[in-house]
Amino acid sequence: MASSLFFYFLAVVTTVGAIAVVAFPSPLYSVLALILTFLGLAGLYLSLHAQFVAIVQVIIYASAIMMLFLFVVMLINLGREEKRELQLPGQKLLGAIAGLAVFSVLLKIFLSTSLMTGKKGSFPPERVDELGNTQVIGNLLLTDYVLPFQAMGVLLFVGIVGAVVLARRRSR
Amino acid sequence: MAPLEHYLILSAVLFSLGVVGVVVRRNAIVVILCIELMMNGANLAFVAYGRYLDSMAGQMIVFFVMAVAAAEAAIGLAIVVLIYRNRESTDLDEINLLKL
Repeated sequence: MASSLFFYFLAVVTTVGAIAVVAFPSPLYSVLALILTFLGLAGLYLSLHAQFVAIVQVIIYASAIMMLFLFVVMLINLGREEKRELQLPGQKLLGAIAGLAVFSVLLKIFLSTSLMTGKKGSFPPERVDELGNTQVIGNLLLTDYVLPFQAMGVLLFVGIVGAVVLARRRSR
Repeated sequence: MAPLEHYLILSAVLFSLGVVGVVVRRNAIVVILCIELMMNGANLAFVAYGRYLDSMAGQMIVFFVMAVAAAEAAIGLAIVVLIYRNRESTDLDEINLLKL
């Protein structure tokens, strides 16, 4: 019962944060609201016995990536979105329709039970908690998932180099 | 313990709010934020399915998605800074150089 209440509390926090991201006119407040959403999601991961992912969510997502966003927002000093007419008439309505369409399709897929008929994996939560969540993930990263792990390293390297090359000031 | 469906519905809500934001907002930074929101909706579904199917694959994929999100944020923000330097604005409606 308590863990169920915990879920609904976090679900409300996460949803309110997400709505605020879309609704706040100032980008700064949108970034801060997204941090709230990410912290709520970290709590949800904890309730799903994914401790490592929860901590990484707080350290990398809610801190490092959002810090990057905050820096850019403050660097280029945007005010609120100006109130001028949209180029595409009825853009808000189109957005609501797109969101509702995606939501109904996702709901249809998620609530059909055919996704849950596959065979169960070999890591029930009790066993993972006994071995240690981080230890299991570390083992898997260097055995079954070693190729994606290496590819991830290359991807991050390319990301760093690309960001530096793009954002550096051209000297003429 | 909340049932799986509730986690999935929350994940669908987050993803659709991200879609709404991408369509409605005109500030490039907020659009990137909404893409992050969509990725997190997907992450929640991965972890929830992994938990209920006794598999670690969901958590591993979330780990990789986070790396992709970090790279995407770095490159995307570098592009936003470049656009701001050239156009003094990050309004996506004003970035129409390719338009005839």
